Amino acid sequence: MRLERLSEAVKVRADFHGGEVSPLIIKRKTQELRVACITARWEDRKGAHKVHYFSVQVASGDVYQLEFHTGDLLWKLNSVMLDS
Amino acid sequence: MEAQLGDAGQLSDRVILHVDLDAFFASVEQLRYPHLRGKPVIVGNGVIASCSYEARRFGCYAGQPLSEARRICPGVVILDGSEAVYRAFAERTFALCAELSPVMETFLDEAFLDLSGTERLHGDLFERAGAWKECVRAQVGLPVTIGLGPNRMVAKIASKSVKPDGLRWIRAEDVESVLPELSIDRLPGVGHAIGAELAKLNVRTIGDLRVFAPAILERMFGAPGRALYERCRGVDTRPVETREIPQSVSRETAFHEPAANPREIEGMLYYLTERAARHVRGLGLAARTIDVWIDYVESGRERCQRSLAEPSDQDAVLFDRAVRMLRGLLTRREALRRVGVALSRFSAGVAAQSDLFDGDVALERERLTQSLDLVRDRFGHASVVAGPSVQFLGRLVQDRNGFVLRTPSLTK
Repeated sequence: MRLERLSEAVKVRADFHGGEVSPLIIKRKTQELRVACITARWEDRKGAHKVHYFSVQVASGDVYQLEFHTGDLLWKLNSVMLDS
Repeated sequence: MEAQLGDAGQLSDRVILHVDLDAFFASVEQLRYPHLRGKPVIVGNGVIASCSYEARRFGCYAGQPLSEARRICPGVVILDGSEAVYRAFAERTFALCAELSPVMETFLDEAFLDLSGTERLHGDLFERAGAWKECVRAQVGLPVTIGLGPNRMVAKIASKSVKPDGLRWIRAEDVESVLPELSIDRLPGVGHAIGAELAKLNVRTIGDLRVFAPAILERMFGAPGRALYERCRGVDTRPVETREIPQSVSRETAFHEPAANPREIEGMLYYLTERAARHVRGLGLAARTIDVWIDYVESGRERCQRSLAEPSDQDAVLFDRAVRMLRGLLTRREALRRVGVALSRFSAGVAAQSDLFDGDVALERERLTQSLDLVRDRFGHASVVAGPSVQFLGRLVQDRNGFVLRTPSLTK
């Protein structure tokens, strides 16, 4: 297992059904990472806006820390815990 | 329902619930990273702040140096941890506590709730507590242990006896049969030092302690001795209070790299002092005593405690004193690993007094502090960076709660 810090903006396909945000696919450069499961989610605020945080496991087993800023609707990858 | 005074001198119809987040920091990390589940995990820096039950099986415990933990548990995964994440999980769990009772006292990883008189609302309290425990597991994802009892102490003993992921109710009528048989180290207030003294007297169980008169215990252990006399009899009249006045408010952190530059050390002390002072102001208190400590990389800890002439809740006043104490402690040509500050001996908040020679400087300063607090309450602590901590802008990562320190201090 290895933890890598990332801090990069990404595109995410997400489901907003029922007022809850759930990331489905992360588009990172040329990669498309399909979210296998959301292992944890929590919230914080930045100024007047909410920030949603997610730990998501992708098909390869790696776990990404993802954040969604509701103020500017931007997604960011924070880190990845590699399964290898 | 009419309250009756039980044998232990307390209201026999009181029901206190104690909820404990099991191995809190480590459990959050195991939740975030499924690879870590079932493996020994430690969160900490220098020493263990929290360790998973898998690590505890190897003999790891909170406060243990990481070097020792690595030696006894070679495959252990060690993480720095993240204050903001733990705070978010604690807040979510405590928000669910409000479903059970509005009378709640929360700490870092535990809470007491007063459920007295809620039977008509909840029905069977044991069943309700069990259902709530499952609700926390489903909604937050963390395991919690719950203890119920006629007072805070018994509720905590109940939860401690079934950790992790357990549920137990010690009813008022069972206290006499359960308590005396328990090991003396289960009694709140019996730590390492008192435990060692009692072991010399062959006091092994809570019942063994009952032979001592209060005066003897007071002579042996000072004021805590009197509390031990009552506690070993199951007496604890402390109410569950929503607003707790803490004994002290402390903030400390380890540096990302050992620090030798006095400017950097003073900047961090300023940041920690303003964080502690803001918390104290939020409680409507002012501190009379300041404690500053530093950890040298090689030589260990040095600390200094001083009292102010007048209690204060102002950043500038507290920092002015703290930095003079720090300069007195920095006597070696050696880098520091850690710095910390604690405020204590609180009194109700004081109004600023105008200075005889400087006009209304103190009042101006207080107004400025109030304005900063308002801005930070609304936009987060990081919205304003002041004083010597400005040097960390761009050097340390910030989130809404301020700089992301290497070892967060969450203790109240």
